[in-house]
Amino acid sequence: MNRMHGYTRRRFLTTITAAPLAVASGAFFSACTSQKLRAETFIAKASHYTDNLTRLILAGIQELRVSSEEIRGKRILLKANIVEPHRGAEHIVTNPAVVFAAAEAFLKLGAERVFVAEGAGHCRDTYQILEESGFDALFDNPKITFVDLNYDDWLVIPNSGGRTNLKSFIFPATLKKADWIVSMPKLKTHHWAGATLSMKNLFGSLPGSFYGWPKNVLHNVGITESIIDLNSTLHPQFAIVDGIIGMEGDGPIMGTAKNAGVLVMGRNLPAVDATCARLMGINPHKIPYLDLADNRLGPINDAFIIQRGERWQSVRTNFQLVDYIEAHRGLRL
Amino acid sequence: MAVVCHWRLFTESPAIDLCLRQILERRLPTGVFSEHLHGLYRPDSTAWAILALASKEGYSVYTESARACLAANQLQDGRIAFPDANSVFWPTAIAVFAWQGAGSFDQAQNRALKFLLETTGKHWPYDPKAPIAHDPSIKGWPWVGETHSFVDPTAMTLLALDIAGQSKHPRFREGIGMLLNRQLPHGGWNYGNTLVYGRELRPFADTTGIALAALAGHVAKEQINASLRYLQAQAEKCRTPLSLAWALFGLGAWGEFPNAGRVWICETLDKQKKYGSYGTSLLSILALAYVLNGDIRKGIA
Repeated sequence: MNRMHGYTRRRFLTTITAAPLAVASGAFFSACTSQKLRAETFIAKASHYTDNLTRLILAGIQELRVSSEEIRGKRILLKANIVEPHRGAEHIVTNPAVVFAAAEAFLKLGAERVFVAEGAGHCRDTYQILEESGFDALFDNPKITFVDLNYDDWLVIPNSGGRTNLKSFIFPATLKKADWIVSMPKLKTHHWAGATLSMKNLFGSLPGSFYGWPKNVLHNVGITESIIDLNSTLHPQFAIVDGIIGMEGDGPIMGTAKNAGVLVMGRNLPAVDATCARLMGINPHKIPYLDLADNRLGPINDAFIIQRGERWQSVRTNFQLVDYIEAHRGLRL
Repeated sequence: MAVVCHWRLFTESPAIDLCLRQILERRLPTGVFSEHLHGLYRPDSTAWAILALASKEGYSVYTESARACLAANQLQDGRIAFPDANSVFWPTAIAVFAWQGAGSFDQAQNRALKFLLETTGKHWPYDPKAPIAHDPSIKGWPWVGETHSFVDPTAMTLLALDIAGQSKHPRFREGIGMLLNRQLPHGGWNYGNTLVYGRELRPFADTTGIALAALAGHVAKEQINASLRYLQAQAEKCRTPLSLAWALFGLGAWGEFPNAGRVWICETLDKQKKYGSYGTSLLSILALAYVLNGDIRKGIA
């Protein structure tokens, strides 16, 4: 059972701003050290973006025992990866069809509102990225709001992770309005981190106005450590990974398209990322941020991840790794 | 109809008048500006709003109070930073523009210029075997203290130094060299990487525009021809605020402001019917590009 189950966003932000940091961190850590963490993930096969993705996502939500009571009346923030879209290169960013399907699924479960949000890390022109990626179609739906996290108002939250020397994070104010944060990355290799999945996707939750384009503040203090600190502080409730067409080779921008034909979901992001890594043919224990997250933020050991839907072994397809990219060496499962 | 008043050229356009009124709606009670309605004070939004409002008669009470607020928020060493984040000082260059020629703010501007000339990003020696191909030892300016120098903050600072008469300073010359080093082999600029692991990255219109605007008058056209061609092609098709405005500034700086540039600006403003209101800085940059016909130095210097 995922230890994070039922810990809502608002409760988290209220707790972290009202209570001494040491108490919050201490309580979290003792939960981790007392026993091995377990988590569930769900894999659905999906060949095309024109498949009934809403049905698949709803099936996953149900399998993962997310009840409609958890969602009814809530404000859901879908954090997509729209880092640097280019028309015709649909393997770079989360496909809008997956995000729209997720929005529809949460609305069907009674969500009050759905935000789709991104703080794009490379390109400062948010409207350009919306149009290049196809996300501008969001503006036709009155129940979905797009939020540009790069230029939002902000709030300062103490860093709960302690792996970097960052005392605090400056988050977009919209995050405080959301009850659920859902990380929705693309399934990709990465030339600095090994892979970029639901945990690294949260880099885009920080505003470029404060962290730069790219978010060099995080590169400076360590990508691995920043991923851990960000996830420790933000605690997203869910992840839905777009692996229908992913990216292999020299990701996260210049790699090549890879048909993986899956959506991967879960409440626990390390478990989701570990499952994604395995189906990519990557050993999650060799990805530094996952190794560091293991049994701190969630399980990455296959023995402690309960697979719902398809098994990762049946959908495994080796993503190309590049010999001369240091972060790719030794990753093969 | 175009009317020349002192050094300012302003054009009566209902779309731009509306734009300026939208900007004014983001004015906070203290005299500064937020990016969105009822938002928090932002120094970049404030500086851009000053520039846009100063382009037309009748707004001086707002521009003067905003200039004074920027000066009041200036830190001891001359930087203009975001509240809660002293290391986030990239708006300093835009504040230099906002104070340019305003007389009573010369001291604030000089302090900001001193800060910029004494500040750089994190740099290290060039290694031909490194995955990144650009020369990381060439100094420019960063977005945030203790981080690497990138294209936008470097170009913005060079423009600020240029209009303030600092183009002979060694830092200025090195900054020009930094921008040239970050130019992509096939033309254009992105945020500031060229090749990573041997693969050339893609350019963006806005960063190409701002880089070209900064380089105009300081490098030969042959050195940036491919980038100019890229930007011309982008300007024909992009109708998003930041990309179009900087594309027009970049082209305008090289004497190639497109004949239809102002029409494109109005088309872009019209897309607020779909997207909702643009942010203050975007409205301001579009208004300026319209009023100045793409020549950012003419309107500010």
